[in-house]
Amino acid sequence: MGRSAKTPATPAPALRGVLEFADQLAADAAAAQVPLPPAQLHLITFRLDGEEFGLPVETVREVIRVGDITRVPQSPAHIRGVINLRGRILPVVEIRTRLGLAPLVPRSTARIIVAEVRGRVLGLLVDSVAQVQKVPADRVVAAPDEVKSAHTDYITGVVQLYERLLILLDLARALDASGATHP
Amino acid sequence: MDNDHAFAELIQEYIAESLPLAEAVSDAFLALERRWQEGDAAAGEVVELKGTLHTLKGNSAMMGLRPMQVVAHALEDLAARVAADERARTEAESALLVEGAGLLIDLIGAAADAQSGSGEAEEFVARVRRRLEADAAPAVPLRLERRRAERRPDGAPDAGTVRVDFRRLDTLLEIFGEAMIEQSALTEVYRRLAARIGSSAEVTDLDRVVVSLRATMKRLESALMQTRLLPISTVFNRFPRAVRDLARDEQKQVRLVIEGGDTLLDKTILDRLGEPLVHLVSNAVVHGVESEAERLRAGKPAEAVLSLRATALADRVVISVSDDGRGLETERILAKARALGLEPASPTPADVHGLIFVPGFSTAEQVSHVAGRGVGLDAAAAAIHDLGGGIEVASEAGRGTRFTLSVPLTLAIVRSLIVEVDRERYAVPLSHVAETVRVEPGALHEINRQGVVMWRGSAIHVADGGRLLGTGTTRTAPRNYFVVLFAGPRHRGLLVDRLVGHQDVVVKGLDPTLGRPDVVSGATILGDGRVACILDAAGIVAQREAA
Amino acid sequence: MTLSTARPGTFLVVDDSALHHQMYRLIFSKGSLAGSTLYHAMNGREGYALLAAHPELTVVLLDLNMPEMNGLEFLARRQAEKLHPHIPIVLVTTESTPDDEARGRTAGAWDYLRKPFQPADVARLVERLQAERAPAA
Repeated sequence: MGRSAKTPATPAPALRGVLEFADQLAADAAAAQVPLPPAQLHLITFRLDGEEFGLPVETVREVIRVGDITRVPQSPAHIRGVINLRGRILPVVEIRTRLGLAPLVPRSTARIIVAEVRGRVLGLLVDSVAQVQKVPADRVVAAPDEVKSAHTDYITGVVQLYERLLILLDLARALDASGATHP
Repeated sequence: MDNDHAFAELIQEYIAESLPLAEAVSDAFLALERRWQEGDAAAGEVVELKGTLHTLKGNSAMMGLRPMQVVAHALEDLAARVAADERARTEAESALLVEGAGLLIDLIGAAADAQSGSGEAEEFVARVRRRLEADAAPAVPLRLERRRAERRPDGAPDAGTVRVDFRRLDTLLEIFGEAMIEQSALTEVYRRLAARIGSSAEVTDLDRVVVSLRATMKRLESALMQTRLLPISTVFNRFPRAVRDLARDEQKQVRLVIEGGDTLLDKTILDRLGEPLVHLVSNAVVHGVESEAERLRAGKPAEAVLSLRATALADRVVISVSDDGRGLETERILAKARALGLEPASPTPADVHGLIFVPGFSTAEQVSHVAGRGVGLDAAAAAIHDLGGGIEVASEAGRGTRFTLSVPLTLAIVRSLIVEVDRERYAVPLSHVAETVRVEPGALHEINRQGVVMWRGSAIHVADGGRLLGTGTTRTAPRNYFVVLFAGPRHRGLLVDRLVGHQDVVVKGLDPTLGRPDVVSGATILGDGRVACILDAAGIVAQREAA
Repeated sequence: MTLSTARPGTFLVVDDSALHHQMYRLIFSKGSLAGSTLYHAMNGREGYALLAAHPELTVVLLDLNMPEMNGLEFLARRQAEKLHPHIPIVLVTTESTPDDEARGRTAGAWDYLRKPFQPADVARLVERLQAERAPAA
């Protein structure tokens, strides 16, 4: 259930389904009988293996370069290791392997997105980070079948941006399996 | 209280006036309890508090707040008894006073909410009444011995105390950890600079500053760690009553002797020491101590002695729980073990007795409601190992049993050996390192697909650091050193490439996302800013090495 | 509801609890006592000074348990110095035995007011007192 937005410009609540949010907006608009300008989603977009993904901006605390990542023995499969972020030891998730891709070969464009998920702060290792993108909420559509099957159940929708397809990631669900279990 | 009560609108004033009074009472009772543990049986505060308790009772009564009123009244009565009768100055009374004051604080704080807490209040009052009746009765057979605490080491007068949220102390320590890292970095740069410039006045001055800074940091570390220390009596003090009650339930006579209550430990350790000690003490009373009849038949005094002792060593605290009961029966343990398919490492009593720590093991005929919660001893052992400590048992049939626990002084900072395996660095707590040995040619053997090495006359298992820690190595050539780790009586060697050095590291727990690795207990940040995992010696010693 | 015949007057309250002063303020601002003048003292010494300064007081409400100078000490001093003997003093206390009460009355207390009390208890007390003194108006 999405929370109703207080003002039209409020971005989607971080962990709620984006599609549900869009539905709720429409319902609110109908109830209020006031034509709302289309809500905007603020997204940070990043690339993994050529595909482009988007994360709500409020989940992202910062984006940093990739330094030394210390491996942690016997940690779950999708944890690449930990890093020192200003004195805080942060786990770094290899999103690629979680999504079924090969592990990252480090290159200069790679970045770690420091994100907050369910109250926990984690690092996400990605090929590159593009930019902050504003996307009208009503442009979000359900994922086409071939995208869905590739990425199963951790995406909440896609947006067609000009010639690019942006996959909206549900971070909480994407990380679910990389919880506290041994490999 | 009812909304139509005459003074309902004054509830905030009631809270504003009564809460500080209740807190003052609580502080005084806590101080009293601490003093009594140290053997000073004066009760001066109690007399001073009479007026405060009276005011609290009166205020609460005026406001129609019956729970607070009856609790304050009960405290008044108990305080009066304690002031008047020296025999009523035991742990039982001080615990009730402290509890009552705490309850009063809670009740007053919540006074603005709907009427609640009357159940708790009535229950507490009933217990106080029973205690007062018991105090009026003739003396009970159980006697408590306490050693007098030494005077404060520096003999300084008490300057007063402040209450600080413990998390602030953790924050202080974290910041100190960062300062330590920066100090290392500074030292490193200074060395490189000195190497390049050679000798000069500035280098000499800088050298003096670096040395002085190191000394200051050591003192700061020591002072910081001191703020986190609490006497072990805070854990020990629950036992006199527990032992008395348990002994009464078991219809045995047990005298509890406590020594070393003033031994100081970091709060992080203390918090986790309670449960294992409860297991051990309960175990001793329930299983260790024989019935009065049995003891008399064996020519022992009817009253058993159970002693809790704590001693501080340089980097550890040793705690022993010993009884003069029936001791462990080696044959019975061996039989039970074999029935469960277990074999001791050797037939010596020490190794056989060590089997009692194995999960699922219990030789008690009855499972008592306390000691036999099903998992007593092995859970206690696991808890101690988790702390980075060890536990051993020594026993003689018919004479008694002694459990010896050894725990580090703190979990917060650990003196570690930094090792390198396949270019990965790890911190190994020195408290679990018996020795580091250079690998001589031909020293390593293989028996049943496990690496073995001779160390101090015995053969111990040795594991390749790279394989154990999953570095992905394909190396087959022997590494340069092995580190002998120990957990309790068991040892295991770990083969590593380099010994980098010793370092005090600030321990940071592992994020839950990382799961619960067996071989890693935490992480820290080294001088170069990189994260290093802290190895769990107990976990490594227990690992079965992959073929 | 019985109508109280208590009339507003001038009162001195001596108590170390701020809460109780608030309570008295409430009591003397409602019903038949509304319009009363109220003086406050936080301890026996202050209270004694105020007693000396106000011969027009209707009654003094004096808490028994106070630091510095408690209720009984206050009464003893008043009796010794014969300060305003016409002003009745009521001892306010949580409990008292008949012995305590006798002692209080010997020291010069006109009556006792037991805690916890309600506004009606105070009104009744004032009523009784004013009835006794009616001839003096």
